[in-house]
Amino acid sequence: MLKAIQRFFRERNSAETARKRLGVVLMHDRLDISPDLLEALKNDIIEVLSRYMEIDRNSIRVDFEEGKEYTALVSNVQVKRVYRNVAAT
Amino acid sequence: MAGRTIVVTSGKGGVGKTTTVANLGTALAKKGYSVVMIDADIGLRNLDVVMGLENRIVYNLVDIVEGKCRTEQAMIRDRKLKTLHIIPAAQTREKDAVKPEQMKALCGELAQEHDFVLIDCPAGIERGFKNAVAGAQQALVVTTPEVSAIRDADRVIGLLEANLLKDIHLIINRLNVKMVKKGDMMSTADIVSLLSVPLIGVVPESEEVVVSTNRGVPLVHERGSRAGAAFQKIAARLNGENVPFDDDQDGGFLSRVKRIFGG
Ligand SMILES: Nc1ncnc2c1ncn2[C@@H]1O[C@H](COP(=O)(O)OP(=O)(O)OP(=O)(O)O)[C@@H](O)[C@H]1O
Ligand SMILES: [Mg+2]
Repeated sequence: MLKAIQRFFRERNSAETARKRLGVVLMHDRLDISPDLLEALKNDIIEVLSRYMEIDRNSIRVDFEEGKEYTALVSNVQVKRVYRNVAAT
Repeated sequence: MAGRTIVVTSGKGGVGKTTTVANLGTALAKKGYSVVMIDADIGLRNLDVVMGLENRIVYNLVDIVEGKCRTEQAMIRDRKLKTLHIIPAAQTREKDAVKPEQMKALCGELAQEHDFVLIDCPAGIERGFKNAVAGAQQALVVTTPEVSAIRDADRVIGLLEANLLKDIHLIINRLNVKMVKKGDMMSTADIVSLLSVPLIGVVPESEEVVVSTNRGVPLVHERGSRAGAAFQKIAARLNGENVPFDDDQDGGFLSRVKRIFGG
């Protein structure tokens, strides 16, 4: 039992962890994403989304995630309600 | 004759730049080339002790650019190899004692008469770095398989490219193949894919390096040294020879390349 717990807490493959973390760090470093730029990006996303749906502006998060083959930009935002006649407007 | 000017740089300190310069210079001179190694780490002179030439210094790099001596007067010839020379850094001067244009001029002058000019760059990305890279046509970026060293290497690669120095190759130093196999150290393939710069060689972590530095005799003189052999391979690749990568010693690079090319 103790061993199982130890195994659980010990990083099984720290190289993999390092690789993933570095992928994200280098992405940030290379893009030189300043907090200002990230803020501008968030505002633009909010603006576009707001044309189609009502969202919780404060809930938005923008992150870089390292997948196996690529790095993804992932944005999460809470949707309150989708407008009915967006296509028409 | 126009020789090649190559800077060895890293960003992070202590990853093996000076060790690399000493061993590559020695290996290239052993091949019969005429080589000058410039210690551009002003204020933190080290290449002289790694080469075992610390007792012969009269003039230094700053003396040359200030016109206090002729270039040849500051060049110290190696004890064993007649075609190998170092230009030591000044120990008691500031990093701004040399300007980028002066480095450029000196490297150009040396490349007229020698096959290889190797520049040992200081750590960091400030003035000393800018001086050291100013006269180089080619860069070797050294990293260890650690998160912080790789991150700094990436910064340096970006800065080099921004300075239009695009002929860049990667050296991974202090690789521990056992740890890679256990999954506790990033493999050569991991690092190459993170940095996206072509690999020129992998040097294993080895106690021999410390012993050789203690003695002031570069490892490539030592027969049967694994780290020494690794530096010899890098020198051969620099020389355009086709030296294959070996999975066991190079930490899982070959299998990845094979996978990419469907071999
Ligand atoms: N492959 C290796 N195996 C074991 N030890 C090594 C290896 N390469 C370098 N070292 C040791 O690491 C230390 C730093 O090496 P070195 O002086 O070459 O680094 P550096 O990048 O020039 O440092 P600095 O940034 O201070 O100029 C030295 O003590 C050296 O002996
Ligand atoms: Mg050094």
